[in-house]
Parts: sequence; C-alpha cells; structure tokens
Amino acid sequence: MTDAIVEVRDAYKHFPVTQSFFNAVKRISKEVIHAVDGVSIDIREKETLGLIGESGSGKTTLGWLVARLHNLTRGTIRLDGKDITTLEGSGLRAIRRKVQVVFQDPVGSLDPRLRVWQIVGEPARAQGPVSRAELRSRVAELLPTVGLPGGSLDQYPHEFSGGGRQRLSLARALIVHPKLIVLDEPTSALDVAVQAQILNRLVTLQREMGLSYLMITHNVAAVRYVADRVAVMYLGKLAEVGNVRDVLEHPVHPYTKALLAALPKPEPGRRSARYRIAGEIPTLIHPPPGCRFAARCPFVIPRCIEEEPPLRRLPGLAERLVACHRAEEIGDVPPEDLIAAEATASPVSSQPG
Amino acid sequence: MAEPILKVEDLSVDYEVGAGTFHALQDVSFEMKPGRVAGIVGETGCGKSTLAHAIPRLLPEPPARIRRGKIWFRGIDLLALPKWKLPLVRGTAVSMIFQEPINSLNPAYRVYDQLVEAVRIRKMRETGRSPVLFTETKPHDYSQTPSPKASEVLRRPLAPTLPLGRMRRLVGFSRETFRSDVLEYLRLVRINDPETILNLYPHELSGGMRQRIMIAMALSEKPSLLIADEPTSALDITIQAQVLTLMKELMEEVRTSILFISHDLGVIAEMADDVGVMYAGHLVEFGPVDEVYSSPRHPYTKALLRSVPKQYKDDGPLPSLPGSVPNLSALPAGCTFHPRCPLAQPVCTREPGPPLERAKVAQSPEHKAACYFSEEVESLT
Repeated sequence: MTDAIVEVRDAYKHFPVTQSFFNAVKRISKEVIHAVDGVSIDIREKETLGLIGESGSGKTTLGWLVARLHNLTRGTIRLDGKDITTLEGSGLRAIRRKVQVVFQDPVGSLDPRLRVWQIVGEPARAQGPVSRAELRSRVAELLPTVGLPGGSLDQYPHEFSGGGRQRLSLARALIVHPKLIVLDEPTSALDVAVQAQILNRLVTLQREMGLSYLMITHNVAAVRYVADRVAVMYLGKLAEVGNVRDVLEHPVHPYTKALLAALPKPEPGRRSARYRIAGEIPTLIHPPPGCRFAARCPFVIPRCIEEEPPLRRLPGLAERLVACHRAEEIGDVPPEDLIAAEATASPVSSQPG
Repeated sequence: MAEPILKVEDLSVDYEVGAGTFHALQDVSFEMKPGRVAGIVGETGCGKSTLAHAIPRLLPEPPARIRRGKIWFRGIDLLALPKWKLPLVRGTAVSMIFQEPINSLNPAYRVYDQLVEAVRIRKMRETGRSPVLFTETKPHDYSQTPSPKASEVLRRPLAPTLPLGRMRRLVGFSRETFRSDVLEYLRLVRINDPETILNLYPHELSGGMRQRIMIAMALSEKPSLLIADEPTSALDITIQAQVLTLMKELMEEVRTSILFISHDLGVIAEMADDVGVMYAGHLVEFGPVDEVYSSPRHPYTKALLRSVPKQYKDDGPLPSLPGSVPNLSALPAGCTFHPRCPLAQPVCTREPGPPLERAKVAQSPEHKAACYFSEEVESLT
C-alpha cells in the first residue's frame, strides 16, 4: 500500500511478569503477557482506523506502540516509509511532531497545576524554544478550532467539564500539527450528548486538517461514525479488518459477530433476547495455541483448537481480512443468531459462567 | 390494578457543601409496579445515583439533606423510619447492586465469608431471632392507612452482635447448611465451579464474576425491590451482555422488582418495562419504555435518543445537543432545560418548571412528561 502513513509489520509486545519477590530480586521472569502478538496493519493517509476490542485485547498497547510510547519486543513500525522502531532521542522527538496521542482519562492526563496555555503549549515547547507570547497566541488561535473559547488561556483544567477537558487534550495534540493522532478511548468518559459533540468535532477537524486517526475504543457506535476502516482485536491478535460499513453490517469473524450481538440497542422489545456467548477473556500469559477465540466460539471445530488461523484475505469481499478457518462457511450467519429468543434457550443450564 | 411497590412523592434532595447548595433531586415523583423493571436514565450529574441511594436511605447526611418528600415502600414511609430500623429494610427488603463490584466486596474476605453473612441474617430472620419489618407477602394498600403495624412488628430489639460460633448455635444451623445455601446462590448466578470460587478472594475474580457474586448476595435475601446502580457500566460489552441475560432470567425466577439505573439507553431498552428520564435533578419524562423511546414527549428525551450514533461518517454530522448540563447549584429559572431546548418559549423561562403530568397526546395514561409543549416534541427534527 503506497498511501500508508503508518505500516506496522508483525509487531509483538510482551510484558514480563514478576511472580515472586525471589524472582524479582534475581531478575528471573519466565512468564510474559502477550499483549500484542504478531499484528500487521496499515494506517492510511487521511483515514480513521478504528481499533475495537474488549479490555485486555491489547488495543491500547498497539496504539502506544504506534506512538512509540512503548518499545516493540519484535517487529517493525514505519512512519511515512521511515523505520521508527528503534528511534531514540532527537529522532524520536521528531516523530512526536507527526504522531500525537489523546489519552483516555481527561482528568489524569492534564496537570492540575498548569494553566490551559501551558498544558496545550507543552508539546510545541518540547519541540524547540518558543517565546511565551508566541505560545499564548498560538494556543489562543487553536482553542476555537476544538470548540473552546479563546479567552480561557489562564484557566485550570478543573474549571472544565469532562467534554471540555477532552477538547483540551485534543488541542494539545493539534498544536504541533501532527499527521496522525492516536485517540485512546476519546469518548468513554463522556455522556452521549457530549460524545456526539466531540465525535462531530473530530470528523470536522479531520476534513479540515487532513489528519489520520487511530481510534482505540470499545464503543462500536463511536467507531461506526468516525472510522473509515475498522480492525477488531481479540487477545493480542487481529480477528478481522475491513471497511467500517462492511464489517459492522456483514461481520465474518465469530468474535465480531459476538461483539455486535452483545451491543445493547436503544430499541425496546429485546427483553426476551438472551445472549449466548459464554466465558470470559482468557489470560494473556498463556494464550491458547490454536484460535484465541476457540474457547468461546459457537462455531468451533477441532482444527480451531490445534491450528492458529492466519489473517487472510477473503475472496469476494473487498479489503476484508479475517482470521478464521471457517470464514467461508459461517460468513453469512447474522450476529442476531448469537442471541436466542427465550423459547429456544433453556435458561438455567445453557449459561455457564 | 396492582398496588405500587414503591411510590416516590416529591422527593427533593440537596447537597450542602462549601461551594453552595446543590439541588440534586427536585420534586421527583414516580411509582413502581410490583414485578416490573423501572429504568432511570440520564447523564452524569443528573441525580440518578442520588435517587438510587436515597431510597434505602444510604445518602450521607450531611452533606446530603432530604428537603421534602415521601418514599412509600410497601406501605411504609422509609423517610419516616428511625435510623435503628433501617437495617431491617436494607439488604432484606431493598437490596442494592453497585457499579464497581470490587469496591463493594470486602477485599480481606473470601467469597464464602461475604455470602454467608447474608445467609446468616436471613436464617435469623426466618427463625424469628431477628425482627422483621414486613410480614405479609402482598404489598400493603397504603391508600387506606398511611402506615401498617410496623411499630408493633418492630418492638422486638435487633439481635445483639454475637461471636460467629455462638450465633450459629443460637440460630441452630450447622456449617454445612450455611455452606450448601451459599453454593445454591452461586449456582443461581450460573457460576460453573462454585466449590472453587468459595475460597477465592475478590481480587482473584474477573469483573463479571464479581458482579455475579454481588447479584447473588443481593438476591439471597429475596428482596422485594432490587436497586441496580449502573451494574454493568464497568464491564466489557460481551460480559455485560452475559450479566444482563443473567439478570433477565433471575428476574423471572426470583420475582423481584428492579429499579435499574444506567446512563446507557441501550441497556435500559433491554432491561426496563418503564423508563424515567432525568435531567438536572428533575424527572422530565416517565412512561412505558416502548412508548417513551418511540414517541418521546420531552425535548430532552428526544435529543438524548438522537445523540446515540447510528450513522456512518458519510451520512452527515451527528445530531447533537448544544451546550452542557447546568450547574446544580445555579439552575436556570423556569424549566431547567430551556437554555438548550429548541422548543423554548417565553413561558418556559417565566413560569416555574412544568410539573410531571400526563403527556397531552400520549397513548398510554402512564406516560408522563414535564413539558409545556409536549405535543410539539414529535415535530422536532
């Protein structure tokens, strides 16, 4: 792909687990958490790639890898065709100009003792000397683009509501005119009405400034609106990648189906609906050898447990990558089939914990 | 028609803190029918959690102050109960599930010890060793006499706190009975391997498992009202779907009424029979969930329903409500929603906020809205 701004190739990130004081002292660490386990994906110019998955799926780790907030265990990341996997020092600072991050927690990611102009101006100052007056005027110019009054330069973060703080984070990312912004759960701390305002703002900014986004979220509704393409992650691996409309309307991977079936929809009359996917996300320390979703998958066959399915292109579906052995057979099963009406499910015995 | 199990009348709660008085609830009135699920939905700071905590009198007073109102629960005004009688209501007649199960479970106790406490209290109650507030099974008709013989029932003192061993002997049940009871509750919430789970500490369990334990604990007393305050907000989507499915099934088995608090319109649609929408401390709409969602009669409800993203980027911008929720210590005069309301007329700022009354063009007589122009909401785009 030539228009890719970021190319992630076979990325691994393992975090060591120290099990006991003895092992910690002797620096023995045999077990690792496989947070990201062999992920290859592109982020194209001026597009939004939505990365969805549940907690523990490794989606935030992948986002941090792209922004080089973590170092890779294995694999490469290229930004604008240039390998940034092992950059340090001034080289790393240079890519910070191109890639910025908006963090999940709008309270924790803003220093409560700094004023707005200091918070928003900090990335610019880190890039080189800027005079105070220039920085203030740059911040004042920027604030209206994220929907904040330009006169709030000398306020503190606590004077803003949750949505206001998230706008501040966004302004802080924009001040260095990045090409890519990693949005880590940008709306999960916000109410629906405020969320709609922020999502609209994100889309407008993207159109005006030609930004690319990597949007990490568990909120499928937000991804639907903001993303062009979507990648579904489960236990450190990609399960399915494709255009947002195609994936959400015609999911192929059983996990994508399970995720979509689990979404509570604001339409009454689903009282009889019974969700049929059992089990919880297994630990990332000893991931299962075969398909990682096999233990919860309703379509599991013996091959799934033995052999890991590769992420492969599906014939007939444009731009779709799916990691499932049975993708062709089960592709057309609608997600609604993973919800049983009361009549067909035996309520007590069919739902193990 | 069945008597309401819970009837909240003009409930007003303030928080008095250094920065001023926050009107968290203002004249909230609604009724819950037995065996039904009432959902309360609203944004952060609208007072829905205050409402949930006010019913079992769990609000810290001060800073909270219940300015006025009545909470009729099975014929007893909970706000008039003396403090020492509250344990007879809490956990036994009214149970509660909170948002973060890790904060509600004692980290130093194994699952068994947490659950057995509830079983023990129930056994005490059933064997007459501890006083009971509600003896009759059917809700009291409070329209006749305001209060039943609660005072008489309550004359017996609370059981004194006794060491474990003595208490067990006193109640006359063995360790095995308690254990089998606890196992039964764990099976009730579909925990696969209850024998192992019994000996684990809360931090060793996953979020979904912890919430199941909380549900088991809440239901062990067979409460007639279960208050669930954002029970699935801390859980992942697939785990949330599992817990919601479990709650739906248990609802039918245990036959309890649920007051379900959530900020998620989707969760409310799946769980509730009736829904109340709150805005800045006011209940602005209440009615059967199908009708409220399909034809809302308050402009705020309509705006809230429309802000859930259902479209793709190329379908155009999301409809969004301008402005933000007002500060509860400085509410606008008149209807609290008028600064953001597309229907606002001079009357909305001049007159005090409209009362919650039957919506003018609603189909169901139960459908109520607090808006002077409820018949015009339909025409909003």
